[in-house]
Amino acid sequence: MTGTIPDIVLYTAFAFLMVSMILTLIRLLKGPSVNDRIAAMDLISSIIMGIILVYALLIQNAIYFDVPVIISLISFIGTIAVSTYLKQKNG
Amino acid sequence: MDKIIISAVILLGSFFILVAAIGILRFGDLNGRLHATTKATSFGILLLLVGVSLYFNLFTVYVKALLIIVFIYLTAPLAAHSIAKTFSGNKDPSENQDENT
Repeated sequence: MTGTIPDIVLYTAFAFLMVSMILTLIRLLKGPSVNDRIAAMDLISSIIMGIILVYALLIQNAIYFDVPVIISLISFIGTIAVSTYLKQKNG
Repeated sequence: MDKIIISAVILLGSFFILVAAIGILRFGDLNGRLHATTKATSFGILLLLVGVSLYFNLFTVYVKALLIIVFIYLTAPLAAHSIAKTFSGNKDPSENQDENT
């Protein structure tokens, strides 16, 4: 523990991540093809990883570092699963 | 001095993720969107992980951060390639070059 980060930095990082979450949700809702929606879903998982990292910094608890490990594993599996399903469906 | 470096790294990381989100909203076709999301998001997560692990300064946190970085840089190109390969529409890229804004 090397001192505390100023709150304004963490809140600015939260604001960036929330704005990017909203923009990605717009693309997820209106994406023309299914592939756009999968790409947006992949990005949403990365944004959630960032939010959890900044939150762990805000409450100063290192145990939250386990969560991005699991999210990075699961989002890759989900993306590959949906892509394989689409490939088999399209022939 | 530590605080300044960590603050700068965390702000840069979240800014790169914001750039990726703007890219996925603004680009015209699927290849451009994948181009925006894959690289910028990987780099943003890398910067966030480096900043947070420098803040906590524990051995287990460094090991977990290294694991996440290696895994993301291995799998993000694979996922983007898998998405782009199953894209059925727009087979001929020379048809609509004007729409790639």
